[in-house]
Amino acid sequence: MGMLEIKNYTKIYGEGKKAADDVTLTVESGDIYGFIGHNGAGKSTTIRAVVGVLDFTEGEIYIDGHSVKTEPMECKKVTAYIPDNPDIYENLTGIQYLNFISDVFDISGADRETRIKKYADMFEITEALGDQISSYSHGMKQKVAIISALIHEPKLLVLDEPFVGLDPKATYILKEIMKEMCAKGTAVFFSTHVLDVAEKLCNKVAIIKQGKIIASGTMEELTNGQSLEEVFLEVVDEK
Amino acid sequence: MKNKNILLLKTLLLSTSWRNVLKYSKDKKKKKQMIGGIVGMTIIFAMIMFYCVMMCVGYGQIGITDAIPAMCAVMISALAFLFTIFKTNGYLFNFKEYDMLMSLPFDAKTIAGDKFLYMYIKSLPWYVSISVSMMIGYGLYADASVLVYPVWIILTFVLPIIPMLLAAFIGFLIAKVSSGFKKTNLVQTILVFIFVIFCFSLRFIIEGIFKTNKVDVVLETVSDATGTIGSYYWPVKWFAGAINGLHISDILLLVGVSLLLFELIFIPVGKSYREINSKLKSHGAAKAYKMTVQKKKSLINTIAFKEFKRMMGSTTYMTNVLIGEILALLVGVISLFVGLDKVITTVLQGAPITKEMLYPAIPLIIYFFIGMVPTTACSPSLEGKNFWIVQSLPIKKEILYRGKMLFNMYLTVPFAVVSTLCLCISAKTPVVNAVLYLIEGVALCAFSTAWGCVCGVKHMRLDWENEVEVVKQGAAVAIYLFPNMFITMGLIVLVVVLGLRMNSNLVTLILILIAAVLALLSYLRVMALARKL
Repeated sequence: MGMLEIKNYTKIYGEGKKAADDVTLTVESGDIYGFIGHNGAGKSTTIRAVVGVLDFTEGEIYIDGHSVKTEPMECKKVTAYIPDNPDIYENLTGIQYLNFISDVFDISGADRETRIKKYADMFEITEALGDQISSYSHGMKQKVAIISALIHEPKLLVLDEPFVGLDPKATYILKEIMKEMCAKGTAVFFSTHVLDVAEKLCNKVAIIKQGKIIASGTMEELTNGQSLEEVFLEVVDEK
Repeated sequence: MKNKNILLLKTLLLSTSWRNVLKYSKDKKKKKQMIGGIVGMTIIFAMIMFYCVMMCVGYGQIGITDAIPAMCAVMISALAFLFTIFKTNGYLFNFKEYDMLMSLPFDAKTIAGDKFLYMYIKSLPWYVSISVSMMIGYGLYADASVLVYPVWIILTFVLPIIPMLLAAFIGFLIAKVSSGFKKTNLVQTILVFIFVIFCFSLRFIIEGIFKTNKVDVVLETVSDATGTIGSYYWPVKWFAGAINGLHISDILLLVGVSLLLFELIFIPVGKSYREINSKLKSHGAAKAYKMTVQKKKSLINTIAFKEFKRMMGSTTYMTNVLIGEILALLVGVISLFVGLDKVITTVLQGAPITKEMLYPAIPLIIYFFIGMVPTTACSPSLEGKNFWIVQSLPIKKEILYRGKMLFNMYLTVPFAVVSTLCLCISAKTPVVNAVLYLIEGVALCAFSTAWGCVCGVKHMRLDWENEVEVVKQGAAVAIYLFPNMFITMGLIVLVVVLGLRMNSNLVTLILILIAAVLALLSYLRVMALARKL
């Protein structure tokens, strides 16, 4: 069984529009799974359903064998989510926010200190952790959100456009962290518009158009000697 | 593991605490504004406390000291219920960090319950200031046991829970029903208005029942009056029993029922929480737009239109600013159909006041509702994270705030005119009087708009977590609302008295002049503040 299994997931909005239509995919432990598609294709809708934020109409989503619908707490305990535009408590200082997340996941004092220091040093924001988040730039807020997702060592990391707003060094570090986590058995599922990054980073990819998965598989199967960009444009224009 | 309820509640409070800003913010202007806000709020609390103590002194002097606990319970319960109805949508649903919280291992019931407790704690200063001041007033006249005071203080914290829970549950039902509609915000706003109007009319329905049953004969003694209120709403009876008789059973009932209700209400709320929020927060794009002829608007009208769309996009904002206009219109229309005499008799409980005596107060009565919360008091802060848009546009700040003021005028003047006309027709005022009242109404709208904008700009707060913090609990709104309300109430009495001693049209002319001068001064102040931004 995969770490994340989406089976026939369908989301219909009140007006009858299908935002996601019979989406099925599996992310195994150790996978870096890219989820690509145009704006409004249904990527964020799917991701929000995966992390238990959005209700859905049909289908099932399992995380580590637990149903998102019926066992949401079990799913959330092993998942970390980084939204595209993190709305974190801006009046808190960075360290207050990270401590809040650590408390939620019951991380011991020594572990949180080590992990926060490790990731904050990597992203070069240690000195800013005592300042209010409201004084941070977009990129710094994104870094705090990323650290908060990493400190509890999730089994599944779900990211919605994680590279938006990050500086080149932070982008590189995040990619390295994703690879390192996968090597340890964590599953990563993320949406992106940056096809170059997806091509170099992911071992599996799915392309979504108007709520439907129009292509999916391992990177080799999908690209077959072409670039991901060429494949993407081809299948999106075709179907 | 730490108790997740406490952890989340503590974080919610910390995330909006003044202490955190004063301790960690490096922005001196922000700190200065916050201190100004704290001073302003302190003055408001002092005013409320003074008003409550004086009210109790009045009760004490006419020998109905025993009624004070029941009065206190009724006041707090009514305020807690109404305030919560207007706040529930913003606090319990549709809040901006919903995605973050729901993705963390909190169950929906914990989030909903903590959001309620957060709303409760944030509202407590209002209820505590009312209750403590009434306790002081009670203490001045009642020969009460020392034990009464700690009991009173403890129950002050319990008293608002039941009405707040009931209001939150109604807010939940409204959100559940409206989430099934495409125009969610509008449906939610309409349902809230219908419910609030129903609550206001309830008072008259109950009084009607009393009168037909000749219950007013029974109301001769204070204890019977307390019992009558308590028989309709038990927590009032329990609070009065706990204070007047130090009945342990009443104390236990009030505390026990509050806790039980909290547990019970959040079971269905928790179960439907994700479903409701999913519907409220996600709207599929129709993708059916076809390019049509686009018309150019003047800059100031474009800003006013932006303000209109901002208001229509938020149930919390809409319900709080529009309630005054709706109530004013209702007063006007009801007077027109029922007759002003009947309205005066019902509202003033048979006090010897004729409609002619009320003539000069007509525009002020309408203004009492219309001028409750102008959009200009909230809209500068409501820019929030979008503030950069107006800051980066090549427009003078003065024009921006003129646009904001124009929108409030567009919103209030038609309601003021129609409501005033309805009252004038109903009261059969001479044409000259009616014209003067209309002018006074417009002048008061202008004053409310400009003075609201002064408060809004001076106490602008952009880093809010939830728009309820601006619309319902913001320093700008509180500093505008309470003095404006108390002064208007005082002015209504004053003009009626003055109208008996001098020509009432002269009184109106003087008021027009004062309102116009104050509006102009406030407008100039807005322009000066805008230039500094």
